Amino acid sequence: MNDLILPQGKKANRLKTSSMNNKMVNDYWTDVFNAKAEGKLVCWYEGVAINPLMQAADIRWVHGEAWSALLAARNNEQPAQTAAEHRGYMKELCSYARTHIGCGVLAQNRGVEASGSSFSDALGAGLLGERIPAPDMFISAYPYCSTGQQWDEMLFRLFGKKIPIFNISVPWVWGNKPDAMYLGGSEFNEAKQYMVKQIRACTDWIAQQTGKKYNWDKLSEIMSYTKTAGRLRVEAMELCKAKPAPASFFDWTTSLAPVNFIPGGPAIVDYFEKTKAEIVQRIADNEGGIPQEKYRLFWDGIMNWNKIGWLANKFAAYDANMVAGRYTHMGFWHEFESIDVENPLEGMAVNYLVCPINLSAPLMIEQIIKLCKHYEIEGVVLHAARTCRAFSNPQFLIADAVQKRLGLPVAMIEGDMVDESFYKDEIVNSRVEAMLESIEARKRVGIAA
Amino acid sequence: MSIESILGTLEWTAENSLAAASQWKQASGRRIVGSFPMHFPGEMAHAAGCTPVILQESHEPITVGHGMIYPFYCGFTRSIVDQACKGDYDFLDAIMFGDHCVQVLGAADVVRAKLPNTRVHFYQLISSMSDPWSLGRARETFLNLKEGLEEMIGHSIDDEAMRASIRLFNRNRQMLRKLYEMRRAGDARLTARQMQILVKSSMIMDKAEHNRLLEELLAEFDKTRATAQRGVRVYLSGHFCQAPKTGVLDMIEECGGIVVDDDLYHGQRFISTDVDDSIDPLDALAKWYLERNLKVPCPTRVDQNADWENYLLDAMERSRADGMIVLMAKFCEPHMYYYPEIKEAFEKRGVPHLLIETEHELNSFEALRTRVETFLEVVKRQTAARRIAA
Ligand code: SF4
Ligand code: SF4
Repeated sequence: MNDLILPQGKKANRLKTSSMNNKMVNDYWTDVFNAKAEGKLVCWYEGVAINPLMQAADIRWVHGEAWSALLAARNNEQPAQTAAEHRGYMKELCSYARTHIGCGVLAQNRGVEASGSSFSDALGAGLLGERIPAPDMFISAYPYCSTGQQWDEMLFRLFGKKIPIFNISVPWVWGNKPDAMYLGGSEFNEAKQYMVKQIRACTDWIAQQTGKKYNWDKLSEIMSYTKTAGRLRVEAMELCKAKPAPASFFDWTTSLAPVNFIPGGPAIVDYFEKTKAEIVQRIADNEGGIPQEKYRLFWDGIMNWNKIGWLANKFAAYDANMVAGRYTHMGFWHEFESIDVENPLEGMAVNYLVCPINLSAPLMIEQIIKLCKHYEIEGVVLHAARTCRAFSNPQFLIADAVQKRLGLPVAMIEGDMVDESFYKDEIVNSRVEAMLESIEARKRVGIAA
Repeated sequence: MSIESILGTLEWTAENSLAAASQWKQASGRRIVGSFPMHFPGEMAHAAGCTPVILQESHEPITVGHGMIYPFYCGFTRSIVDQACKGDYDFLDAIMFGDHCVQVLGAADVVRAKLPNTRVHFYQLISSMSDPWSLGRARETFLNLKEGLEEMIGHSIDDEAMRASIRLFNRNRQMLRKLYEMRRAGDARLTARQMQILVKSSMIMDKAEHNRLLEELLAEFDKTRATAQRGVRVYLSGHFCQAPKTGVLDMIEECGGIVVDDDLYHGQRFISTDVDDSIDPLDALAKWYLERNLKVPCPTRVDQNADWENYLLDAMERSRADGMIVLMAKFCEPHMYYYPEIKEAFEKRGVPHLLIETEHELNSFEALRTRVETFLEVVKRQTAARRIAA
């Protein structure tokens, strides 16, 4: 397959607005690093975006995955991962959790005196991991993945069970009953109410921690920005139905921060307005997210943060545009319509319940099939993240469904979120090339027929 | 029946769980409800006139299952998927479960896809045990399960039937605990393999039948006087959903260890707690569910009132064990997560322990033998030194 040999020099045509994202991320972490100096409480949490709950109470937050991903993206993950390993956490455990817990270990070793360092100083010194402000509280609200809930629990134990923790149990959307469906059915409605009850209790608990009345007006205001940002992002992504698609899954991955952990405010709306405008302009200019779009692909699975730029360029070099993905398109306030900003808890619960891992396979597959049809996908890459079983769980069923129902070839590749050692480039190359070859073969048959 | 023949019968059931269940189905005409470990209340399925069977890791090599689950999953989940793909579960009337270890959930989706004509129902048990609503939520879940069972059998399950099943299951747990006590005290010589057979067969066999055999067994033990055993007293910990391979248990004893106690799921964890038969059965089950985690803390749960490491240190003292062997199923996330807590607590207290990782594919334990021998030797010396110092 000579025509598939990687042509040199072809690189992903990243969205220009991404650079705004970097600034927002840096500013946000700077605020986190300044928290103690500014007398703010710090909450550690993982999983779905419950940060509006903290923001409304003027608490600063550290999202475990975001933090681990940042360390990996800036090559600062090693000290934390080594510290975790020394304490006995094994390599097969969720690498996000290992990295974050490792920061907890480092933070304990370091003592309080170093916690006042600035974000840029810590980054410059390669000490980001250990300088993260220690938590004043934990909130655990992990959908689907028991590992997520346990991650919070182990942090709680690591800090000597002295820091208060609040647990929200997120039910899995499984569907015993015949009325089960996406966003509906009796079980889903019950789960939604159960979530609302717990989130409300969590706001009471937050009020106890801060000693101040919970600010519902503030929450509504934050959620109105969040809702708008969510809508603009979905609209911008949907425009990528265009051929060539003006942006790729990799662009959407690097644009997650504003809908994941950046404070809800005018900046996140502005970000997606500009992103959408750039997309519209690119469509007008017939400009794609990669130099030449020959294939349109779907990415199933979680991101590989060590390799994100590398993968974006690799697929660009194959002329393969990764147009959409489960991670980016099936979560992060994508069900923005369900949010009533005056009364936001139910809409928040809905978004948490339908995040990209919390649907059982039949419901999840329907959503994936819809996306594949909408974006006219020709092949599916399934990234089996070695230490994230939550994302890997349904992948054989997904592969089977897209093959049988849509006739799409698939490539299953192994990697990880932030542990580089699980990624094997040769295997990725051979699997992806085999899939592209099948797409070619299908096209030939299609043309002949 | 002699001790040997009772154990022989139970061993056959334990080792051939699906064949035993299917034979029982034919003989009794009862529906069989399979469940995943580790917290499913079999009492409820029993009260519905069904026989609950806890699905086990099979000894068979994983073959077709490879096409549906990645190799980096625990042996239990891979084996479950493999058995479902091979059609081994086709005779089951339903599979109902409530545990939510992320690996079980992955297996469950595949099992449901492979058994389109079987009810594969999930009643998610709250895994955060010390919240103000934990008890209430557990009761709601058991109520949903009851309704699911009622829908399957076509009539309601009355409270008296529930209580009768609860009593039957309590009796079973009490007798098994009695055997544990006798072993700890040296009044019954039971190897680790035999203990596993006793508990594992209880997960599969009709309870009344199992009780009958246990009664006979206890009567036999009452008649005999056990001779004192010499060796290093070992406590076994870990191994959740799947039974440790009996070969590894034998090897530990061949190296000079006497297993005196354990917190294995195919052991004390399964039988630790009884259900109150005097109150509303759903209240009683919800209470049981939370109490069970305080009796033998489970790392698949989060519970501010339970500390597994302290439980283990106390349990070792109670059973006068000299060293602990931790059996960890490879890729078991809840165990990997909690292990550093145990390691730290044991090292701090100077209590020796050895970690052994087990695998579905591992059938020869010779490579581990040297490690176990060395460990037991160290424990022996430490114990002797302590005695002299005392
Ligand atoms: S395994 Fe995956 S879903 Fe689970 S906690 Fe880790 S990153 Fe999250
Ligand atoms: S608790 Fe451990 S053994 Fe049980 S399913 Fe989960 S990973 Fe497997």
